[in-house]
Amino acid sequence: MNKGSDVTHATVDQGAVLPATRAVVLNGALRGDETLAPIESMLLELLRETGAGVRDFQLRDIPLAHCQGCFECWLETPGLCKVDGDAGREITGALIGSDLMVLLTPVTFGGYSSEIKKAMDRSICLVSPFFRRVGGEVHHKRRYRHYPALAGVGVLREPDEEQERIFGTLVERNALNLASPVTAVCVLPAGAPPTVVRERLAASLEPVLGHLARRVA
Amino acid sequence: MSARRAVLLVGSARPRGTGNSEAIGSYLLERLAEGGMDTEVLHVSRTQRPEKERQLLQAVDGAELFVLSTPLYVDALPYLVTRSAERIAAHRTATPVPSAVGFVALVNCGFPEWEHTKTALEICRVFARQSGFAWMGGLGYGAGEAIGGRSLEEVGGLIRSLRQGLDVAAEALLAGRPVPEGAQALLARPMVPSRLYTVLGSIGWLRAARRKGTLGKLGDRPLE
Repeated sequence: MNKGSDVTHATVDQGAVLPATRAVVLNGALRGDETLAPIESMLLELLRETGAGVRDFQLRDIPLAHCQGCFECWLETPGLCKVDGDAGREITGALIGSDLMVLLTPVTFGGYSSEIKKAMDRSICLVSPFFRRVGGEVHHKRRYRHYPALAGVGVLREPDEEQERIFGTLVERNALNLASPVTAVCVLPAGAPPTVVRERLAASLEPVLGHLARRVA
Repeated sequence: MSARRAVLLVGSARPRGTGNSEAIGSYLLERLAEGGMDTEVLHVSRTQRPEKERQLLQAVDGAELFVLSTPLYVDALPYLVTRSAERIAAHRTATPVPSAVGFVALVNCGFPEWEHTKTALEICRVFARQSGFAWMGGLGYGAGEAIGGRSLEEVGGLIRSLRQGLDVAAEALLAGRPVPEGAQALLARPMVPSRLYTVLGSIGWLRAARRKGTLGKLGDRPLE
């Protein structure tokens, strides 16, 4: 498996005691799109300031098959996608072992980019095929005892209130289905100055950064 | 030959002839064909190679109506559909679009409530706006798994309201009008009470697991 593109930022200091990976960032930038890179740097900085180890997946560079909708991860190999030999199991393992997952994506029709969707579609093995009822709606039962908090960081090329609203709803819906204990959403304009990016990330992600800091402590 | 043409894109990755999205989309397409439209069915899983993608783009550009019928994956459109939507939008914003094309979306989910599909339908509406399509409306359907990949006629009376809603949608689309709200009201009618659906669904999982010899393993936590 090609692991060259995922970076465990916890391993920066040679010889130091490494912090455990507590946060996972999925970068869903499409090929040729570099608008997310400066936002990602700022995001990683904020996450590291909590003391957490951070793992960062550049999805466009990682071999990952798409979900086939076969439900074998619920029936044949419960909890594991039947596809082995790509990064699917590594990514889902990193997500469920973390305290915070961050989806960094160009806002695409109000939703995630195809790169994020490819990874998220493969995450259904993290829940049970059986059902629970939440607020009058049916959702899947939890498979694991612990689930990470969820943050969505979307980048918009042009201001678009409708897309911003849909993006927020999608992150909230994902959090509900993935049993995330804390959720946060931040939508940023592409090309925003670094000070604005940092300020808005810190303010919008405060609930999940606080959650992460508490878990690290 | 009729100049009116409808293209159905099936968003399921399941093999041809086995998916619920195909069954729902095909039913609508048959009604459109009865109304005099030429029809064509494409499967998103077979449009990912460059030459097949070009065929998809040409088919969509040459249609009067582009129909997407897709399952809901993790609260939104599946990866393959999202990727195709990205490509279609890029193509239609970079190239002069030959004619006005209408776009209608049918999204089904395995939960009993159709409301789970609302976010995906909103994503479809924005896709239409950004790609220069005329938004002809969207329909969400819960309990899609009960179709079992069969044709809607074969499933019978259990999904009568789904067929009725699609009939209403087809009538409007043939007249060049968006899907009326009444069609969604018909699709929203539960085929069975929600609690019964989840009990039957759970029994279905248990039976399938017994056949596969994994009955005691469904709650495994292999990544813990």
